[in-house]
Amino acid sequence: MVATTNFLGKAHDAIEYIFDKETFVENKIGSTRLDPDLAPPAMVGEATLDGTICTVLSVNSRRPNPRFRVVFNGVMGMEETYKFSQALYATIDADKDKPIDEKRPVVLLIDTPGNSPGKIEEIVGMTKGTASYQFALMDARAAGHPVIGMIVGRAISGAFLCHGLLSDRILSLPKDYGTIVHVMPTTSIAVITGIPLERLNELVKTNPVFASGAEFVYKLGTIDELLDNPDQMRDAIIRNIAEVKELRKQGREDKLGIWNRGQVGAERGGRVKRIEAIEKMEKEFENILPDLLE
Amino acid sequence: MALTELNFEFTPKEPKELNDEWGHVGIVSSGDLEILIEKGNAYKGKASFHILTTVVGFDNVWETVLGRLVDKTGLSGVKVSINDNAATPAVVKRRLQQAIENGGGLQ
Amino acid sequence: MRMDWEELQEKSFYRSSARERAYGIVDPGTFREFLGPRDKMYSPHLVILGEAVEFDDGIVVGVGKIDKHPVFVISQEGNFVGGALGEINGAKMAYMYKIALKCYEAMKEKYGTVPEDRKPLVVVSYDSGGVRLHESNAGLVAHSECMEALWKLQNKVPNISITGSSLGAYGAQGFVCMSGDVVLANDYGRIGLTGPDVIQQEVGKDEFDASDRALIWRTMGARSKYILGDVDYLLKDTIKEFREKVKELADMSMSDISKHRHLGSPELVEDNLELVKIAAELKIDDSKDLWEYYGNENLDELPEMPQEEFLKVAKRRPRRGM
Repeated sequence: MVATTNFLGKAHDAIEYIFDKETFVENKIGSTRLDPDLAPPAMVGEATLDGTICTVLSVNSRRPNPRFRVVFNGVMGMEETYKFSQALYATIDADKDKPIDEKRPVVLLIDTPGNSPGKIEEIVGMTKGTASYQFALMDARAAGHPVIGMIVGRAISGAFLCHGLLSDRILSLPKDYGTIVHVMPTTSIAVITGIPLERLNELVKTNPVFASGAEFVYKLGTIDELLDNPDQMRDAIIRNIAEVKELRKQGREDKLGIWNRGQVGAERGGRVKRIEAIEKMEKEFENILPDLLE
Repeated sequence: MALTELNFEFTPKEPKELNDEWGHVGIVSSGDLEILIEKGNAYKGKASFHILTTVVGFDNVWETVLGRLVDKTGLSGVKVSINDNAATPAVVKRRLQQAIENGGGLQ
Repeated sequence: MRMDWEELQEKSFYRSSARERAYGIVDPGTFREFLGPRDKMYSPHLVILGEAVEFDDGIVVGVGKIDKHPVFVISQEGNFVGGALGEINGAKMAYMYKIALKCYEAMKEKYGTVPEDRKPLVVVSYDSGGVRLHESNAGLVAHSECMEALWKLQNKVPNISITGSSLGAYGAQGFVCMSGDVVLANDYGRIGLTGPDVIQQEVGKDEFDASDRALIWRTMGARSKYILGDVDYLLKDTIKEFREKVKELADMSMSDISKHRHLGSPELVEDNLELVKIAAELKIDDSKDLWEYYGNENLDELPEMPQEEFLKVAKRRPRRGM
């Protein structure tokens, strides 16, 4: 095992920490070989977990992308999102003839500060890159692959939206182990909204909607499971894969993914108004549905 | 620091009813407000105002502006709900007139 | 509440409120709002922060009809807290996709297969900067809920994106917009992930000068997006123009609508990646470099000329399947 318990900026170290020793093969998914020159920061490949082949998607913060100057330090640019998409379609393809029980799991190791905020990205369309990756994750789930997100470092804003939030299940290390989970730091929110920082820090105690950190977003249901320490990651991922497989086999898609986490969050006391809004809309819709079908 | 809540009730001398069930106007951008007027049996002969505003300490201004307009128009039989983001009295007056119009005017 | 549909038709789409756009985009008198102002579902978080609230929380959602098609409309109000998504307006937006799918399933049950002339549609009028920072965690997950829900509409319920209001479709709304089947815009439309100010702040003024209006328009604006293929149809700025285009799309078969898709398949990953590779190889520094690559001339005039002329002369990136 790697002698470190903090993976911030070192998601690639978490691969060795979690998966079976020295089983990670980069840029290989089944019989597909991904282009090693494409998206150097996107560290994707296969590794086994307790003997089961998994697809691993992570961002290597130490590798910049030589073609896009804003893509470094774990930032996900366009090539990175498309390479992750390619890896997911290769995953679906590799197991296309296998029964649902044997669809290989996909594990996202999450440590990324953001999508690339560059001019070229805006001209060409960073929007399409991140959306493509999200659609590919949904496609993989629909094909029966369990998708687990494991927050080991930064899970921030738009980058968390594409690399993590659409997983079947999301697990996180607590902030003592270097995780950062938020849209932006409370200090920046204070500056942009004009709300005094002291006030925000005070509000955070009672309302997780304003807060920063895994402990708070757990209350919103954004994270399914908050682990105590890195030593629990391997077993927790194995257990969650098994649970996702079982739920999928039972046709309980509703117990997986982001929509389910909204329900979980309400049970934990977060976003209760959301449920009220949805229930009212549902009633209004049901009342006019007969007219719509005419 | 939370929003300021204000409640007023006015009884116009010559009460007039809103033609439609409700009227609505405005977007709560900076310096603007939204006004929702709803008919209700509980408000017979009077206009009941419920205001949520970001501004503190202008209770008297609100009371004067709204009171005058209710007297002038005869607006009654309604509950008026307002979300305000620091609109000037002139804007408040104009929006209230528009809201009445949007509710089909007064009879 | 009165809304003059006839008057709305000739009104500038750009200058219209979210509610006006919602009422005007469907057949006269057919729009019915869900969780409208009278429901008074406003943000409890903004109240705590002392920020102004709006009864619809800055979004107008509901259903209308175009001929026999139920049209599920999501219309964002950029003038209220930047049109950004929080807990309530986020729930309203995300649940609309769910409702549209329920309508589709109900129709399938009633008719066996969904008749093409009755198929439900989703139309989203974007006017938003993304996540509402005042309730950031709720806004973030709401976007993810939208993505999970709209992904399920593919090849069933046409999802039409419109960008033609002051704020465009920015931040996370940028990718929700591009996830639609078809993207419509007027000349004011903008689509982006990172806004000019944020790029300048994060990377520097040499990367992006946020005070340069022309640069903003040719980077994120509808005309460049039209040339490069992200905007499918560039329209005149009236509500009527948009309604007529939506009607035309409603009458198109689902499979023809799906041909417009910008992403969501392995083939489109490669198609998009091709543009990324071209941009990298050409070492582009400006959208004009790509306009030229695709055969355009008079690059400085393209953003300025009247729309009719632009549509005649603009040469577009060829897209797979179109």
